[in-house]
Amino acid sequence: MIRGISRYNPPFSHDGDTALNETFDVKTFQGLILTLQDYWAKQGCALMQPLDLEVGAGTFHPATFLQAIGPEPWHAAFVQPCRRPTDGRYGENPNRIQHYYQFQVVLKPSPKDIQERYLGSLRALGIDPLVHDIRFVEDNWESPTLGAWGLGWEVWQDGMEISQFTYFQQVGGLPCKPITGEITYGLERLAMYIQNVDSIFDLVWAKTPSGTMTYGDIFLENEKEMSTYNFEHADVDFLLQQFNHLEAQCQKLIGLELPLPAYESLIKASNAFNLLDARHAISVTERQAYILRLRKLSKTVAQAYYNKREALAFPRLKPSCNETSS
Amino acid sequence: MTTNDFLVEILTEELPPKALLTLATSFHEQLIQGIRLAGLSFATSCFYATPRRLAVHIEALETQQEAQTIERKGPSLAAAYDKEGNPSKAALGFARSCGIDLSETTTTQTDKGEWLFYQTTAPGKTAFELLPALVEQALAHLPVPKVMSWGDSQHTFVRPVHHVLMMFGEKTVDATLFGLPATNTTYGHRFHHPEKISLKHPRDYRAALKNAHVIADFDERKTLIQQQIQTLAKKQKAKAVISDALLNEVTSIVEWPNALLGQFDQQLLQVPKEALTLAMESHQKSFSLTDTQGNLLPQFITVSNIESKEPKQVIHGNERVMAARLSDAEFFFETDKRIPLAERVEKLQAVIFQKQLGTLAEKVSRVTALTAAITEQMQGDVALAKRAGELSKADLVTDMVGEFPELQGVMGRYYAHNDNEPEEAALALDELYMPRFSGDQLPTSKTGQALALADRIDTLVGIFGINKPPTGSKDPFALRRAALGVLRIIIEKQLDLDLRELFALSAELYGDKIQHEHLIETCLTFCNDRLKHWSQEQGIPPSVFAAVAAKKIGKPYDIQQRLDAVNAFMQLPEATALAAANKRVHNILSKQGGAAINTVDFNLLEEDAEKILAEKLAEKTKSIAPLNYQDTLFALADLQQPIDRFFDDVMVMVDDEKIKHNRLALLGSVQRLFGRVADVSLLVK
Repeated sequence: MIRGISRYNPPFSHDGDTALNETFDVKTFQGLILTLQDYWAKQGCALMQPLDLEVGAGTFHPATFLQAIGPEPWHAAFVQPCRRPTDGRYGENPNRIQHYYQFQVVLKPSPKDIQERYLGSLRALGIDPLVHDIRFVEDNWESPTLGAWGLGWEVWQDGMEISQFTYFQQVGGLPCKPITGEITYGLERLAMYIQNVDSIFDLVWAKTPSGTMTYGDIFLENEKEMSTYNFEHADVDFLLQQFNHLEAQCQKLIGLELPLPAYESLIKASNAFNLLDARHAISVTERQAYILRLRKLSKTVAQAYYNKREALAFPRLKPSCNETSS
Repeated sequence: MTTNDFLVEILTEELPPKALLTLATSFHEQLIQGIRLAGLSFATSCFYATPRRLAVHIEALETQQEAQTIERKGPSLAAAYDKEGNPSKAALGFARSCGIDLSETTTTQTDKGEWLFYQTTAPGKTAFELLPALVEQALAHLPVPKVMSWGDSQHTFVRPVHHVLMMFGEKTVDATLFGLPATNTTYGHRFHHPEKISLKHPRDYRAALKNAHVIADFDERKTLIQQQIQTLAKKQKAKAVISDALLNEVTSIVEWPNALLGQFDQQLLQVPKEALTLAMESHQKSFSLTDTQGNLLPQFITVSNIESKEPKQVIHGNERVMAARLSDAEFFFETDKRIPLAERVEKLQAVIFQKQLGTLAEKVSRVTALTAAITEQMQGDVALAKRAGELSKADLVTDMVGEFPELQGVMGRYYAHNDNEPEEAALALDELYMPRFSGDQLPTSKTGQALALADRIDTLVGIFGINKPPTGSKDPFALRRAALGVLRIIIEKQLDLDLRELFALSAELYGDKIQHEHLIETCLTFCNDRLKHWSQEQGIPPSVFAAVAAKKIGKPYDIQQRLDAVNAFMQLPEATALAAANKRVHNILSKQGGAAINTVDFNLLEEDAEKILAEKLAEKTKSIAPLNYQDTLFALADLQQPIDRFFDDVMVMVDDEKIKHNRLALLGSVQRLFGRVADVSLLVK
């Protein structure tokens, strides 16, 4: 996964490049998103919308985590807002924020030309691989809380990590078959590079009739207030209680064969854990124990979800059924 | 014998760079081993390795196995024909099973009689037929760190496989690997030459790929990168720091190398050079530059995988990333310095060393006590040792070490220096981790040595005390490395320290957190096993080690001196006979239930041989007292003749109990004399 946010300054302008996309202005944050959506929609991806829950990474979206389980094919792309309370810097660090955006592409089974398709998306953004040094640098991914791991790369452009590329091998403790290919773009980092700015807050989000709207216009105050909340005011006792309650609820829902709401409980518990972490409310030993509790829930949810899909005879395996997933 | 060239190439997605060379060499070795086992000879062979390909080229490979001789034995002659000479069913059946007429069989004579026999030759298989299975076997035996699946393919490999080339001479080998049919084609550089390349002959591979912007040969690419780096550095009148590991890694991530020079702000050189180098080398896979005095310069060299249309853009991009990384390090360094190390110690209460063994804060207090005790024995500065001990893990809770864990200890030294801690205490914080790897330098200061020993001894005793010894390849607490570190420091720094004593002290500091039974001997045995390995690597024979180990000594430096002495003694002409004599002494005495401690009564000596031996022994006992181990053994060498004569002339087990015991006492003192150094009886081969 893209860790945190664009930790390292993106590069410079690339005036020599001509944006290949005529429709959208990739030099705005929204133009970047629109270009990626357009590109991946043309690649046959269903455009999902963000999950309406707080998550630490796009992988938590059911369109990634749950869809990677079982034999049914899946092709989707979506923006996911992510929250990493510990990465907050009160809006004072130009490279670190606690709320940011990832663009995820999930292809199952991973197509043979997945790398070429990804490189196509860079070309759509105006990045010429004969000008810029694009590399696939080994980086294997593991999420202890999700019981998941995969092999893949960070994608480097002129030495900067711009994406993460993973072939999921295991999710929720279950071996993946077929394999899901996951591509995650760190949008702010990519945008800082394309727009040639040094601070996230200087990114142009959009050009509106009332003038240029920057990332800072929208989120600087949010970073200040949310950092204050995350580090100083998040109610520890309540969060601890909440964690325990959500864990129990998750297990109860599994018993009722309701893996989807059970998964939501897991996501919420995970967010409570992240906040507790930001409040330094969890000691090192306890931390490991909490991670193990989340991992146990992930495994149970994954198995329950698989069982449910199996009971439904894996409906999307039938070519006649074009419905989106449940 | 007709021959032809063979070429196989597996085209994949980007392979793990640190595994690439091992994968490629092992593919090569496995394949030629398989080919040899199949009885096919060849002239030469080589491998190619790039981030996206593993290939092997075999020159002048025999096209066919030699004809195979097939021998078959049938029924005995008696069972083959009846008295009239008519063939039996068994004989006819044998002929039929060989696919011949009975008249074509011969006979063979064995010691059990005469038998029907058939000998023929079958043509050998062709290389063309054999190669697919040989390649498949070689690939199946690769030491893949982690295999993966992709798509909905049933196949697994290091990374997804895209294309297979397999040619024997001008022909494409009829094979399917990873579900892909073998071809006589491949593809060039991902960006410069994505088009298909057709080969006419295996020998064209290297040149065809070079035309397609791929330098397939690993060493050629490595040399080229090195030259490019040195050329760039020379232009700057600078020296590039090129470690072989980094050079191999970089060679493993590019097919068409282009070295580029980048700069960063001079200001960032204030950051400790270890942090700068780490960010440059391990994070950005770039090479650092120094002036002729070895001082870092604000420059770096990165190796791109393309010949960019606008190299300035690639340089600029890398400079921006590097600046950000280094500024991060600078930021951590500056903010860390605001809180003195001494104030950070408290934070270690929240960090777990090991679940059953408690927090790092607890470890630090044990290590401090142990460091002080060791320093006292070394006649060092105890106050200094205590200070170093107290601060020893504080840098683990700094932002810099949080971000760059490899800098533990190094940052401790910088921060302690910044806090105006005593210089030797600061140095010890870094030396604590030495030796960091096999063959690494050792702590130079007394405080550093004591601290390095205390930290490792505490870990050894603690982990053995909760019964989590290393098993097989699993050694999560790196106890083997810890033990070897302890031994190297004590031996190479010639410290007169007794591990038994130190283990006991450490165990005491743990209190009831650990299980104490047999603990000290377990730890000592573990260390001595490492020492055995180590001494064998230094060329000391196992029998010499056994002779010294029998003394069950806890002082590694003492053991080392004895090992050297016995090893030198073994070169003497008298050694073999003396060892044998000692063994004889040992056997006689052990039959008597161990050594008799009686002193020799000179009045009871009867024979000349025993009188001479007794005198000689008395003289030696006095003369060797001040000698070191080697001189002792050398001085004892001239006992060979008197001892041998004693055994020739004197009967030990006589009926007269008094005389018998006197003679046993004589033998006892032989044993004791040699035993001052080692159990020489164990040197008998």
